[in-house]
Amino acid sequence: MALAAVVTIHLPSALRKYCSGASDLSVPAHTVRAALEQLGRDHPSLYRNICDETGSVRRHLNVFVNSSHVRDLDGLDTALAPGDVVTILAAVSGG
Amino acid sequence: MPERVLLTIGTKKGLFVAEAPKSRGKFALRGPFGSGVAVYATLTDTRGKPRMYGSSCNAFFGMKILRSTDLGKTFHETKSAPAFPKDDGRALANIWSLEPGDDERDLWCGVEPASLFKSQDGGDSWELAPGISNHEHARKWQPGNGGLCLHTILRDGDRMHLGISTGGHYLSEDGGKTFAPSNKGIGVGFAPDPFPEFGQCVHKIARHPDAPGRLYLQNHGGFPERPGIGVLRSDDHGRTWRSIAKGLPSDFGFPIVVHPHGADTVYVLPLEPMTRTCPGGVPAVWRSENGGESWKRLTTGFPKKETYFTVLRDAMDVDELKEPALYFGTTTGQLWMGRDGGEKWSCLFDSLPPVNNVKVAVV
Repeated sequence: MALAAVVTIHLPSALRKYCSGASDLSVPAHTVRAALEQLGRDHPSLYRNICDETGSVRRHLNVFVNSSHVRDLDGLDTALAPGDVVTILAAVSGG
Repeated sequence: MPERVLLTIGTKKGLFVAEAPKSRGKFALRGPFGSGVAVYATLTDTRGKPRMYGSSCNAFFGMKILRSTDLGKTFHETKSAPAFPKDDGRALANIWSLEPGDDERDLWCGVEPASLFKSQDGGDSWELAPGISNHEHARKWQPGNGGLCLHTILRDGDRMHLGISTGGHYLSEDGGKTFAPSNKGIGVGFAPDPFPEFGQCVHKIARHPDAPGRLYLQNHGGFPERPGIGVLRSDDHGRTWRSIAKGLPSDFGFPIVVHPHGADTVYVLPLEPMTRTCPGGVPAVWRSENGGESWKRLTTGFPKKETYFTVLRDAMDVDELKEPALYFGTTTGQLWMGRDGGEKWSCLFDSLPPVNNVKVAVV
């Protein structure tokens, strides 16, 4: 199996306290799902903020690969290429 | 250390702490902690060195437990929050109750979807309590308007009472290992069978610690065709229940609170069932001093008209001072205190965020 692509995960400011203040993390992953699972191993507290116990991305969070929302691609199975940026963003909602 | 009265106030926008000397002359407010995030459960645990807890129910980033070891001057997240096992299929949606356990660092936590968790290290790690969480009824319970929540945990030795909306009242007599529904006499107005085995929309259960056999229950009442099912009492540890709603303006309401110095004295805050606000626009707390046989309307200090607030299930409490005061918060952001057992009411704060939870401790 080929070595996994190294991609960047870009985090919203509210989550940076769960990874020592980092705004970007580099992880090796072929897919978005694998990238999140790698986060779960490296930063379990951070992962719990992004995904619930079932492994689903929390309802009010959006995940983009470069500028495309994963829902418009292949969801969590979206393939990643070296240098891709996976951005986690909170939705605009509330009251 | 001088005694002080500490209120933990869980709101839609975070956790507030209000502190006053024992005279309750003036409350100083601090917060919000967990700013911007709804808080549905709070606890001041006075066993050993006092600790305060609040559930921080973040719709974006998930559930957290906040803990303070300096009487509510600062709060920090515990190392983890309750979470279902990965293969369970359920995901935590809210944290509704926090109660002390047996040992000094033991805590119980009721959540949505209705399940129970236990911590043995002050909230840093949590374990699912399978006796109720995986009960054969658990996948049959239905959510009420507030969600499918386990909101009440009452303990008396090995006996444990749980209130679930809408699951009903469940009783354990082996320290929480196994549970059985115990709803004889608790009615429903939203199903053909008026007295089902389980599935009741229990709003809150209360009792006096020195009279564990006597329980009071605010149920989802307000059904004209099934009157009187809303306010109930049990004298046999929750095995059977009977109505004590006679004399109240409505049997619909959310909180129910027992006087700290007498098991016969109980308080409710009846609401008009359709709007879930003060009947006729006139707020009143109702007190019974004979176990619900008769009720007295307490209104001194409240507005006399044009007031339509709602008080949620965990938003009323009573302190344990010699002449106790009651406290309640409203979904329109008012925090009221009723001195002399609810005889004289005054508004402590009138512009908080919507209030979900009010608990009081004397420390």
